[in-house]
Amino acid sequence: MLSVDLTPMIDVVFQLIIFFMFTSQFGDLRRTEVDLPREQGEEETVQQQAAMIIDVTREGTYRFESQETSLLEVERIASAGVMNQSESTPFDVLIRPDRNAPVAHLDRLLLRLSNVGVQKWKLATVESDGGAP
Amino acid sequence: MTLNRTRRRRSQLGALPLTSMIDVVFLLLVFFLVTADFAKKENKLPAALQTEGGGVSSSDLQPQIIQISLEGEQVIYTIGQVRCSDRVSLESVLNQLPRDPGVAIKSAPDVPIQAVATALQAARNAGFARRSYVPGDSSN
Repeated sequence: MLSVDLTPMIDVVFQLIIFFMFTSQFGDLRRTEVDLPREQGEEETVQQQAAMIIDVTREGTYRFESQETSLLEVERIASAGVMNQSESTPFDVLIRPDRNAPVAHLDRLLLRLSNVGVQKWKLATVESDGGAP
Repeated sequence: MTLNRTRRRRSQLGALPLTSMIDVVFLLLVFFLVTADFAKKENKLPAALQTEGGGVSSSDLQPQIIQISLEGEQVIYTIGQVRCSDRVSLESVLNQLPRDPGVAIKSAPDVPIQAVATALQAARNAGFARRSYVPGDSSN
């Protein structure tokens, strides 16, 4: 009677499952590589996580959830967020800009957010290795 | 008798299944590699958003304004008549100002965003709880 050894097969199957789990794209992978301003900032607790995260590139494009987005689309999403906010969960926006991008790109975004009623925002920073230039 | 028992134990140890142990070690290695956080830790600088001529009622104290501009390659922070070129000097100027009215930051459009972060950080370090940013109209 031919007997099949199941143990190594199960091992290999587990390895394959883990490999495919971690090479596939995750839906909540929202943060892309950005050269953020180098300042100490404040540490964020889990309860304070921003409702909307927008990246600002040096070229003046805006990214929401890793996808390039127009200012009109940003305004539409923020408007919906402001309408659904409550006392306990106010709508706030985290902006992750390239530190060398001109302020004009930030201003354009903030004016749009201000138009739809956003009152608070946060600037993402990263602690510098040897002090801000 | 004793010699026989030692031989038997040695042969049992020799039959230790290494394959499954290596499998488990690899699984643990993969697990710790994947759960380790290699990303740089990000912090935040919160600020209020205020538009030109709005957001402050007449009964409120007017915030002190930090105006950021660029002279050549040099970033200049101006508060009233005082001009600073780095965070340390800006912080020492802010330390002499009253905290209650808060501080508002305005910037020229060509200044790098790093300068806004520096001004916000200086205001925070100086103990200003009310910090706001006034975006300029750079639509043109």
